[in-house]
Amino acid sequence: MSTGFVSANKQAEILKDQGNLYFKKNRISAAIEAYTEAITLCPKVATYWTNRALCHKKRNDWERVEADCRTALEIDKSSLKARYMLGIALLEKNEFSEAIKQLEKALDLSRGGTSDMVEVIWSEVGKAKYAEWEKVALPQQQKQKALREFCENALREDYKNSLFRLGSNNKAQSCGALYENIEDEMIDINSSDFLEIDKTTFEVSKLKSSFVEKKQTLDDVFDKAAEYYKPTEVPEFLCCKITMDLYRDPVITPSGITYERAILLDHLEKVGKFDPLTRAPLQAHELITNLAIKEAVKAYLAEHAWAYKTY
Amino acid sequence: MEAGFSMFKRKSTSKSSSSKGLSKAAAYRIQTEAHEWLMNPPSEFEYLPSDDLSRWIVRISGAKGTLYENESFLLQFDFTDDYPMEAPEVIFLPPAPLHPHIYSNGHICLDILYDKWSPAMTVNSICFSLLSMLSSCTKKERPLGNDSYVMRCAGGRSPKEVNWHFHDDKV
Repeated sequence: MSTGFVSANKQAEILKDQGNLYFKKNRISAAIEAYTEAITLCPKVATYWTNRALCHKKRNDWERVEADCRTALEIDKSSLKARYMLGIALLEKNEFSEAIKQLEKALDLSRGGTSDMVEVIWSEVGKAKYAEWEKVALPQQQKQKALREFCENALREDYKNSLFRLGSNNKAQSCGALYENIEDEMIDINSSDFLEIDKTTFEVSKLKSSFVEKKQTLDDVFDKAAEYYKPTEVPEFLCCKITMDLYRDPVITPSGITYERAILLDHLEKVGKFDPLTRAPLQAHELITNLAIKEAVKAYLAEHAWAYKTY
Repeated sequence: MEAGFSMFKRKSTSKSSSSKGLSKAAAYRIQTEAHEWLMNPPSEFEYLPSDDLSRWIVRISGAKGTLYENESFLLQFDFTDDYPMEAPEVIFLPPAPLHPHIYSNGHICLDILYDKWSPAMTVNSICFSLLSMLSSCTKKERPLGNDSYVMRCAGGRSPKEVNWHFHDDKV
């Protein structure tokens, strides 16, 4: 290594420290300048790029955040900050699916980090997913509503027409008016009068029960479809007993209880080395990722994307 | 050193407006407990509504067939930013029940509120512990050394600052 190279390295580090100082004092332009000089000297250090990206982020200059983060990732694929900020920048540009991809990678990289960090990234992932979902879901919901009304009208129309047809085929004049009562209980015609009427009554009730059945089926189908859009309670078995929120990174203890990893590590450090529910002794190294629950949460969120809104 | 993790500072997307400086995690947890409480209100306890998320007042009624039947007391819960990693401060508002583990200033000698706290416990579970503590009481009296203890706490000392000795498991 030439001495010139070493001093360039050192020089770049000094410039970065200066940049950090400027950044802390909120002198963003000066910080950008310092990081840029450091990058010119040593373009292969990812931190210089992510630090500059952080400056751009502060100015909401998302194009530049994206560019710097992408360069940083070319140098260091495992840069958490680059993934995180790239995700945020893409989110700002409404590129939801790409943002989600980056943020999820950031989430993986943050494993074992502080709970605050995991939480912040998770909430950004949630925001992105909710936004993406909403973009698709709202128009879909409208379409379903319109289709439901259309189908209901068509069913009613069909029933009405059948009744009219029956009415004109038979002598019972009252049949035509019967469709007014379609939502009522079985239409009661005094059946002791004539055989003719009895026959008509039978036909009418057959039509009516067929209509009621179809309407019920239609309601069931559309209600089922609407569930996808309807927020309900998040199932308790997918929630950590401490955070009372959906698991992000679930771990299971030797007692068989699952907790959110970050909060449990917090507990082991601040409260004591025991399982919060069973109080059995517990060490951090005994925790095992609960992949099954993690998958279950993922599957649940795929079916109930509105649940992301709480993040 | 890098430019620090300040970028992870939370944007305030918090649902609560009145959480009085509670962290997002603490506020979320307290809100969830409140929501749960509202959805399945326990018959033994009554939450007295307030705007302040960090202080709950709960009315607790003595169970039938116990010394405290037909009596009711007010419990005050104060949450810190570190909740649920840190136990809430729980005291009886005056008049505190006459009980060998409850001082006349409302301080409660119960291990789960101090060194036996676990973040898996909730306001609800604390209330049940206190109710069972009342229910198992056989003689209404103040703890030994009540007066001197209360005097020592006169400056507004929190029960959480006290070194409790949990010697008596009978009650």
